[in-house]
Amino acid sequence: MNRLLKIGVMLLCLAIALSAVTLSAFAQDDPRRPVTDDEVNAVSKKLYCPVCENITLDTCGTLACAQWREEVRILLSEGKTPEQVIENFVMRFGDRVVGTPADPTLRALALITPWLLSALVLLATGAVFLRWRKERPAAAPSAPEAKAATSVRTFAEYRARIEADLAARR
Amino acid sequence: MLAELGFIATFLAFVAALYAAGIALYSVRRRDERLLLSARNAALATLPLLSVSLGALLIALLTEQYQIAYVWNVTDPNTPTFYRVTALWGAQAGSLLFWSGIMSAFAFGTIALNWQAQRRLMPYVIVYTMLILASFLALSLFFENPFERYWIMPDNSVAKSVFAFGGAVPPAAARLAETANGLNPLLRHFGMIVHPPLLYMGFVGFLIPFAFAMAALASGDLSTNWIRATRRWTLLAWLSLSLGLVLGGRWAYDVLGWGGWWGWDPVENAAFLPWLLGTAFLHSVMIQEKRGMLKVWNMFLILGTFSAVIFGTFATRSGLVDSVHSFARSAIGFPLFFFWFSISAISLGMLLWRWRRGELRDERRLHGLLSRESLFVLNNIVFVMLFIAVFWGSFGAPIFSELFMGTTITLGKDYFLQVTPPLFLALFILMGIAPLSAWSATTLVRLGRALIVPALLAALVVALLALMQPTEPLVLLIYGVIALSGTVALWETVRGAAARHKTLGEQWHTALMALVARNRRRYGGYLIHLSIAVLGIGALGSELYQQETQRTLAVGQSLKLGGYVMRYDGFLGGQIADDGRIMDIAQVTVLRDGREIAQLRPRRDFYPNAEGMNTMTIPAAHSTLENDFYVLLVDWEPISAGSATFKVFINPLINLIWWGSLLLVFGTLIGMYPDERVALAAAGAAQPSRLAGVKA
Repeated sequence: MNRLLKIGVMLLCLAIALSAVTLSAFAQDDPRRPVTDDEVNAVSKKLYCPVCENITLDTCGTLACAQWREEVRILLSEGKTPEQVIENFVMRFGDRVVGTPADPTLRALALITPWLLSALVLLATGAVFLRWRKERPAAAPSAPEAKAATSVRTFAEYRARIEADLAARR
Repeated sequence: MLAELGFIATFLAFVAALYAAGIALYSVRRRDERLLLSARNAALATLPLLSVSLGALLIALLTEQYQIAYVWNVTDPNTPTFYRVTALWGAQAGSLLFWSGIMSAFAFGTIALNWQAQRRLMPYVIVYTMLILASFLALSLFFENPFERYWIMPDNSVAKSVFAFGGAVPPAAARLAETANGLNPLLRHFGMIVHPPLLYMGFVGFLIPFAFAMAALASGDLSTNWIRATRRWTLLAWLSLSLGLVLGGRWAYDVLGWGGWWGWDPVENAAFLPWLLGTAFLHSVMIQEKRGMLKVWNMFLILGTFSAVIFGTFATRSGLVDSVHSFARSAIGFPLFFFWFSISAISLGMLLWRWRRGELRDERRLHGLLSRESLFVLNNIVFVMLFIAVFWGSFGAPIFSELFMGTTITLGKDYFLQVTPPLFLALFILMGIAPLSAWSATTLVRLGRALIVPALLAALVVALLALMQPTEPLVLLIYGVIALSGTVALWETVRGAAARHKTLGEQWHTALMALVARNRRRYGGYLIHLSIAVLGIGALGSELYQQETQRTLAVGQSLKLGGYVMRYDGFLGGQIADDGRIMDIAQVTVLRDGREIAQLRPRRDFYPNAEGMNTMTIPAAHSTLENDFYVLLVDWEPISAGSATFKVFINPLINLIWWGSLLLVFGTLIGMYPDERVALAAAGAAQPSRLAGVKA
């Protein structure tokens, strides 16, 4: 009896082990995988809330954003890469959900324009600078402006100027 | 009674401002001193009048006059006294009136202090300051009136008006108190007592150099008088704006619960834009003062700075930031846009007029590429490029794409972190080199020699930073460039003090004090450079090496992050605070090397009466020089709270940002402090100096 019980327990263990192996094989077939909060946040950080302006999905406190974060989790668990998840959101909500537009034209417009404008500023400055280097130093402006420009800086200078004026009159 | 008093005082201030502007202009045409004095007195009267109207609104807030719609909107019976005071600028109508109040205070100070010394410019200064003040008061009187009251009409509808009309009766006080809205939860932070006033002072303060620049253009006195008269006002405005920006960052860090301090949000950027041009202006005016150069450029910068102030105000108050078309829905959208456009067009027109007449010709030209003038010009160019990049990202691209491409885009942190870092790096390089170069010309060898000791000091700073945090070589190089901009300033100061110590035999501290006293502007500026370097290292470290994780923990469980361990100890749910908010508090212990170093209480506050956003996530942090261990309570298991979800950040070097800003305050105050030479000059210039031809 005791021996039969031992054999029974051994068979049961074997059956459990076999079923665990079989189940794990099934589990590998399941496309879903556990996704951590950090993975969700890493993607959500790159996405902007489609309804509230300028708030990333990972920090937005609305219920809608909580649901979108859950969608990110589901998409990641289905095996989508972070880039595919972002593409999915861009397709549904447009370029406003990413920090720089995904559309190549818009992206180029966004990223190149400030450099083009800055290049123009640099060119203009360079041109002015070159022109100045070629010019002889200009004389100080004449007439009232020049007189106004020589404003009195210190009491000592003021006194010195008065003394000089008086000396010239003597 | 308070509503009527406040409204009438505001209206009288509006009339006084218009009268002052009109009569000041007329006095110039008639060359009549008595008319000018009348204009001056009317301009000065705007401050007491607006003090009365702001006082009336403040008393209404403190004494719970809920019939006034503004009071009903921003307070409720549970609002503590502290927040009743800050509610004065807690919504559009009150903050606009407060803005006008600060503007009148600046105008009062300028007119009172510069009346004798700048008589030729003062009539025009009065015209411009008062016209701008009148424009803002018109917004308060006709579009966003903070003194409107609720009335029940005979047909039981609710109307808003300052005065009772057509058989209207006031609503029941108890009902009003019961339904009062309360202050926006986001604004319930101790920083709100200083952040908005400082920001407004920064914005409004630039009115003074703007008005003087316009006065110089209008009067034809295009010497450096307008710059000298406004240097301290500009520094005051710049300091206020700088502190307003940093405190805004601190508020975001403490209240918004996203672990950072600067998000490149359009509202933040709207305040940053005038700061960029204002900083460029502060540098370039030195060249005009010392070398008589860049006259047109300086005018352009200060006119641009004030234009950016008004544009930022328009963009953030009109709703333009949310959508390019939404400003039409805002009551003050079109008036503010019109005002900004007029101000910009008039000032640009005046500048072009004087320029074409050849009255803004420079007295010297730039020659040496490494001269201080050239490096300052380069610094200005980089500031302008940063302005372009930030403006384009915040407003230009979104508006352009919506108007011309029919699509809405957001340029967020990604964009700004791609475009701005090279420009910031260029600024730090220039900050390191420019103070060592000489006016007119410098050789490369001389510059290289002067850089040796500061470079060694910067290397020491980099080594310390590398010890604190494993860092990539490129980042270490960038740290080095930033540190160099600070060590140059430090070394130049030490070298100056050492020279006095050696040649005059002074004690070190006496030598340092005497050195600073001899040229407060220069050494104040050096301290500001040092503070910006400290701030830059903090900003870079916290941005690049921030670590974060989010976990759900059962009571007693721990998580590990960057050498720290955080244990979840328990939960206190449904705690009711004095102001009526309901707090859910998690209790956690932070350990390092097995030793308990802090007990933190991150929490979630719920405001039952608030409309819209009524929940706030309040972080808890353990701060050291090395980093902040920053914890947010994200979620918890209902009822039992047996488990809770936390988002935890480690923000390296973030505290350098706050400490750097303290240095910035000291540096600016040193730079603003009048020295003996200037005081004597002012005394000399304060002699009666009426304009030729003006009647007594």
